[in-house]
Amino acid sequence: MRRRAVTGALYATPAAILVALFFVVPLLLVAWMSLHRWPLLGSPKLNLPANYSAIADNALLGSAAWFTVRYTVIITVLLFVVAFGLALLVQNRRRGVGFFRTAFFLPVAVGFASASLLFLGLLSEEVGPLPFSGDGPALGSVVLLVLWRFAGFNMLILLTGLQAIPVDVYEAARIDGATRLQMFLRITVPLMRPTIALVLTMMVTGSLLAFDQFWILTRGGPDNSTTSLVMVIYREAFVRLDLGSAAGISVVLLVLLAVLSSLQFAFLRRRSA
Amino acid sequence: MSRWSYYVTGTALAILFLFPLLWSGWASVRTDSGFGAENYARLFTSSNGIRPVHVFNSVVVSALTVGGTLVVATFAGYAFGRFRFPGRDVLFLLTLAILMVPYATILIALYVLLGWLGLEDSLVGLSLVLIVFQLPFSVFMMRNSFEAVPIELEESARVDGCTSFGTLVRIMLPAVRPGLVTVGLFAFLTSWSEFFAPLILLNSTGKFTAILAVVNMRTASHGSIDYAALEAGVVFMAVPCLVLFAFLQRSYVRGFTSGALKG
Amino acid sequence: MKAMLAAVVLVLATAACGAEKQGSADDGTTLTLWTRAATESVSKAYADAYNAGHRNKIEVTAYPNEEYPAKLASAAGVKSLPDLFAADVVFAPQYAAQGLWADISEQFSALPVKDSVAPSHVRAGTWEGRNYALPHTIDLSVMLYNKDLYTKAGLDPEKPPRTLQEFAEHARKIDKIGGDVHGTYFGGNCGGCVEFTLWPSVWAAGGDVLDADGRSARIDSPEMAQVFALYRDLYDEGVASPGSKGEQGPTWLGALQGGKVGIAPGPSVWLDAIEAKGVKTGLAPIPGITGGESTFVGGDAVGIGATSGKAQQAWDFLAWTTSEEAQVEVIAQRKGVPFRTDLAANRYSSADPRLVTANGLVAKGKTPYARNFNATFNDPQGPWLTAVRGALFGNPTSALMAGNDAINQSLRKE
Repeated sequence: MRRRAVTGALYATPAAILVALFFVVPLLLVAWMSLHRWPLLGSPKLNLPANYSAIADNALLGSAAWFTVRYTVIITVLLFVVAFGLALLVQNRRRGVGFFRTAFFLPVAVGFASASLLFLGLLSEEVGPLPFSGDGPALGSVVLLVLWRFAGFNMLILLTGLQAIPVDVYEAARIDGATRLQMFLRITVPLMRPTIALVLTMMVTGSLLAFDQFWILTRGGPDNSTTSLVMVIYREAFVRLDLGSAAGISVVLLVLLAVLSSLQFAFLRRRSA
Repeated sequence: MSRWSYYVTGTALAILFLFPLLWSGWASVRTDSGFGAENYARLFTSSNGIRPVHVFNSVVVSALTVGGTLVVATFAGYAFGRFRFPGRDVLFLLTLAILMVPYATILIALYVLLGWLGLEDSLVGLSLVLIVFQLPFSVFMMRNSFEAVPIELEESARVDGCTSFGTLVRIMLPAVRPGLVTVGLFAFLTSWSEFFAPLILLNSTGKFTAILAVVNMRTASHGSIDYAALEAGVVFMAVPCLVLFAFLQRSYVRGFTSGALKG
Repeated sequence: MKAMLAAVVLVLATAACGAEKQGSADDGTTLTLWTRAATESVSKAYADAYNAGHRNKIEVTAYPNEEYPAKLASAAGVKSLPDLFAADVVFAPQYAAQGLWADISEQFSALPVKDSVAPSHVRAGTWEGRNYALPHTIDLSVMLYNKDLYTKAGLDPEKPPRTLQEFAEHARKIDKIGGDVHGTYFGGNCGGCVEFTLWPSVWAAGGDVLDADGRSARIDSPEMAQVFALYRDLYDEGVASPGSKGEQGPTWLGALQGGKVGIAPGPSVWLDAIEAKGVKTGLAPIPGITGGESTFVGGDAVGIGATSGKAQQAWDFLAWTTSEEAQVEVIAQRKGVPFRTDLAANRYSSADPRLVTANGLVAKGKTPYARNFNATFNDPQGPWLTAVRGALFGNPTSALMAGNDAINQSLRKE
């Protein structure tokens, strides 16, 4: 048995080395930076807790946090509804289902940067086919992009969850006279809880860290109405050139995300156990 | 759902989802005088357009990333799915936690690190970083794929005298093939089209990947965007991925079924 | 001839600081030069001309405009800056203060032409009395107007406005043509565009926007309020194209190239790009409300990367860019504005009176100076854009008052 443990550890070693070197070490470096005033060149000076206390005075950060939370709720709800709807639509084998699945999934094959550039043209006044103007609904265009790009991916994950539910469970319910809605709420949803939780966790985390879509499509405007948390981190690091402050905000965000995710997992485990 | 409403809804949604792709294809060949390849010509010949070396670099980075991700994620997935060893759960959670880090923050730290390793401004260094960012999805996928393989299959191999490595290569790999295809496919997609990491980690024009040139098209002349050439760039970047995804559809759907099932 | 030249060089070199040291400045070294995509063509033209006559070789690498500052910052963070890098001149004080460029005070003060190098650019590259950067390209804000639309509206295309009020009248007249023609256009969702085009009107009226060391702002001045009120009216009346409100900068030129805009302030370097689309364009200085003229001297500054080990060779290139050969045969030849004030009139500009107008503005204009300029004024998340949007599309008085406090805070932030 000991030998088997050693073998297992050996197989995990490449991943462990990469994670340690390219994730844990940079993370520690970020934490270390957050304790300092960290000039681009020259030697850092300890300035604890200035980088953290400044967070409270950062008005932009407050509005960005509020926006990011709203954005996360909007995206999570819409994306989940759309993806689940698509999954239900294509769950059964019937004619044309392969084509539909491919059509919904194909946007996933466009890289996110390329997809953002695509929408930059698609939604532009100059060449786009849609009646949008430069001052059009900035948040709306981002939501559209994210729905288009990610609905298919989430559909596929939800689809695998749907298909794992044994058919005879539904049969038994039908014999008992359950309606379609009852079956959905009493059978489908509870049995899919792990899959749903996985999809929701990914949506929430992804939205809280959203950056690329705003960076390319809206630049955070108009009037800072689409400035996300990570955009503020970017501004601290690369516009204000204050790496210590950027690191401080990152650490706080990271801790919040870790707490959120572990709560989600704890909740899940209890419910599904 | 009735047959009729199934087809109407499905078709309407399919048109909506395909529309942006079709539009970008159309916009990329539309010219002042009708249709033609002029936008593509501009994409490849303008002073800051895509050069053959950029495409070559993208191919190298993609190959390294796909290969590296497959090897590391397969070993790790096998370890997590079939072995018990100290630190297993911590390492697994740590791997998933990579998803929780704001990319913009640790890029500088990663850049510093690559410098220490003598890998700054190198395609290998960039690929290593991309592999790490592929790990959460890939390791999760491979662990579940390995868990889904019936334990009897592995045990019969061991009875036949196979080493654990022999079992992995000869018995397990064929069984987790859909998972491997899925992991490889997504590694390719990310490495081929990732923009921010190469921007920060590469310094010389000769090392640039193709996406950097495409984004350069966006901002080449301050005050106007060459949308047509930009869409040509988008199409150029998207086509290899679209072709692969269309061809390998059966595999990755099965990959998801066996891999992503368990939370 | 060559031998004589060599002899002269040798004598000069010996006189300066020893033949060996000077001789090694052009010794076949390869130098990397980073620039943003918008400046790439100019940087490459410099490099080609320099490479043709020198043993050193300049290699230009261009990065996307928006991501360029991030690229520079991360390269500095790991001490791998290029040998030379150019940057938007308004960012120069910040880069100088952060020590991203090497100190070139000694070399610069020994430069025979130093007094005619665009003074506002030189000032921008100065931090605590030391020089860190030279001008690389010059881009001036000017009034650009559509001559055909002027004629169509019954205006004289040879008589551009001499006051900002006249500018508004002209715009209104042209707007009456109707259809999809609009009187004017501006970048109403782009802090950099607004400061570039509106501040000259404030300066022309004798007002000021920033103090000399860039630590306090005066955007709540009556001069500033008047200028904003004028543009605000043009927008409210529909004289300014509705697209102005959302314009973030990337499609600004495209709007003028369409030939449907009467008169608009914009970068002088666009003259060629607009005419290339068949729009006959006039150029005039940006006036103040009741007269006077000024310009925002923009463009890029260039310096030696602080972590470069080839400072001497890099200076050889920088010194060469100040030569008449570079400023006339490279810059003026491609219709650019030479950064040497004594070369404003040259054999290329004399062919086009509009270029003489532009070149003559360099000495009159200003380049605002502040260490936190980018974070305060150019960054879309900075306080200036909030104030601009308020002044143009919201509550004008409170926007400029409140904006001034926020801007001062941002300017003084360490």
